[in-house]
Amino acid sequence: MRTINLWVKDGYLSTPDGNSIYFWGFAASPDAPAQVPGPHLVVNQGEDVTVNLVNQTGAEPVSIFFNGQRGVRTEAGPVRPQYDAQGRLVSFVDHAEPGGGTISYSFRAERPGTYLYESGTNPHKQILMGLYGVLVVRPLDFDRSVPGLKTAYGAGSGTEFDREYVLVTGEIDPVLNAAAERGQPYRISKFRPRYWTLNGRCAPDTMLGDSLPHLPHQPYGAMVMAQPGERVLIRLAGAGIDNHPLHPHGNYSRVVAIDGSLLRNGVGDRSYHKFTVLLGAGQTCDLIFRWTGLGYTPANPVPVPLPNRRNMGVGDLGFTMWSGSPYLGVKGDIPVGVVSFNEMGEYNFMLHAHEEQKITNWGEFPGGLMTMIAIYPSLPPEAGSLS
Amino acid sequence: MAQVRKRLGATDGKIRMPDGSEHYIFGFVDITGVPDDRIFDFRGKAQLLSPLIEAYQGDEVFLTLTNLGMPGRPDLDDGHTIHWHGFPNQIPVWDGVPEASMSVPVARDLTYYYRPLDPGTYMYHCHFEPVEHIQMGMVGPLIVRPELEKRPQYARRRFAYNYAWTEFDREFLVFLTELDSTAHRMVEEAQPYDWTEYRPDYFLINGRAYPDTVRREHESELPFQPYSARINAYRGERVLLRFVNLGFQQHSVQVPGISLTVIARDAQVLRGTAGEDLIFERDTVYIAPGETLDALFTAPVPGTYPLYCRNLHRITNAGAPMGGMITEVVVRPRPLGCPPVREGENE
Repeated sequence: MRTINLWVKDGYLSTPDGNSIYFWGFAASPDAPAQVPGPHLVVNQGEDVTVNLVNQTGAEPVSIFFNGQRGVRTEAGPVRPQYDAQGRLVSFVDHAEPGGGTISYSFRAERPGTYLYESGTNPHKQILMGLYGVLVVRPLDFDRSVPGLKTAYGAGSGTEFDREYVLVTGEIDPVLNAAAERGQPYRISKFRPRYWTLNGRCAPDTMLGDSLPHLPHQPYGAMVMAQPGERVLIRLAGAGIDNHPLHPHGNYSRVVAIDGSLLRNGVGDRSYHKFTVLLGAGQTCDLIFRWTGLGYTPANPVPVPLPNRRNMGVGDLGFTMWSGSPYLGVKGDIPVGVVSFNEMGEYNFMLHAHEEQKITNWGEFPGGLMTMIAIYPSLPPEAGSLS
Repeated sequence: MAQVRKRLGATDGKIRMPDGSEHYIFGFVDITGVPDDRIFDFRGKAQLLSPLIEAYQGDEVFLTLTNLGMPGRPDLDDGHTIHWHGFPNQIPVWDGVPEASMSVPVARDLTYYYRPLDPGTYMYHCHFEPVEHIQMGMVGPLIVRPELEKRPQYARRRFAYNYAWTEFDREFLVFLTELDSTAHRMVEEAQPYDWTEYRPDYFLINGRAYPDTVRREHESELPFQPYSARINAYRGERVLLRFVNLGFQQHSVQVPGISLTVIARDAQVLRGTAGEDLIFERDTVYIAPGETLDALFTAPVPGTYPLYCRNLHRITNAGAPMGGMITEVVVRPRPLGCPPVREGENE
């Protein structure tokens, strides 16, 4: 039995180009700020889950739609669509009234996997306003301390991993958010995103750490960190209304599950390798990324010399994430005046939407739906762990 | 193990659309073997698509990028890079992401080194300010041929991957991009462009819009769009289509009358971890930016089969039908006296 309490509140998101954008989001406690995405909900397969929702906004009813969960109920029975007095559909499921209304959902988390939870009320508006989050269901036999049991889908499913990350995509049209803030109408058919987000943040903020004081409403970083050879489980979730082709540099990934469904027919493996994964709106997709490298070290050098530093462009944007060396764990020289964010000679591989207009902040590169996969020579075990 | 040495110049240029309009582009041009004192003759001569790069699995590829500058934009001192899209286990210095390694400034060189181990259909592009440089045309195809073809028992036969069932007689590229003429004009005129306003009005296969797609390669009227998109085969031949999408939109491509067997996606044969057969049939190929897909078909009854983008607003040139992403598969009867395509085959 797991009880989760969520509060719906508002706040302002911060974008790297200096914009502040009004949003609605879920908060983990009455005193906590609303956040995008909502708190990661991590439960165990077979567990009975109760989610209590308190709607503290004054504007609209709010509900939660648990994608991929069966038999969701409220105190009144199975969830069902809600209509207004004129018979117009308001919510896909029972909702909490504005101004402090509450609703309680319960379900049994039957299947392991990665799922979205999101508003089922005026979803064309409320999900885009930030009312979404990710539910992770651990398999029955999950045990993070036993290598063969640290899996996404259970022992023997071929989904063993060493580190895991959640990456949720989203889009923001600031005109929609401003209309919601002012209580003005907005036509969703005119939706024109200017920002694309990973874990509620636009690049380069995606590459910052978790829970930063200057990003109170965007607590989740989107930097993927691992050591060579490690199996990195990347749980993708498409929370916006658009599809995104996501391209991790560095290597292909193995797509092991879609929508919480393991790609396997009986004993037949149906997983596959991709270097670009098209993530559909509302879809989740679990990847296992593994980078082993090509064996280059100072003792086994790259076969062509690098040009003199004066003959290469480093830090064209004023910063670099490069170490200055071709070798992992080695720091080389970078030009004077370039800020380096490279810590210990780690390798950075971009992970981004390949519809490249989406890696801008309102048209300016770099930004948007982009982060890095950083391969470190050594990394503490707690990096890439989901509580 | 052979060595492939190639040198690409990065520069700008102009391309032509069937409606007579001209568009400013960035791109690459092949300057392999050109003496150093002649390379600047290639300034302003970028081509779309950029030159095809081919290698065998296991080859050593030395790819030198020379930044020739932009005669059409002398104010612009952008760097350039080459990103081999999809190269497994890459290291940052050869990955071409300037934020994570380095770029090539104007009048400088960088030699990228690759030893591809996985055959298949890839793409390359510049990753410097990629939203601008990709849209402006710095995109090209990349093919890695399987080691299987070098085995004596398979001499003079052609394969897409290291499986005998990936054999083909002819191969064609279907390389999809879009062109937003407003963006190209703003870049040419050194004006800012809000990329969130991206609205392409030309839709290209192999760098051309229909009807130029069905014209021959190296047409004198299309000096900087050398690649034809017409697909020719004799009846009964196995034809490999190498689909690449390096635009910014998802495309649904159809060839009515021809069923496509999808054998690989993203340069990975459709085989499960224990060899499970994951290949599938499609009449429509849905492909997103940054994806590649290999499909085989057997050339059917002779005739002309249109291949086009089923997102039908994209079979236009600046809004005018018929244009854009259309080409033709032309199947002819096998010439008299020609032996069967392969032994045991019955027509």
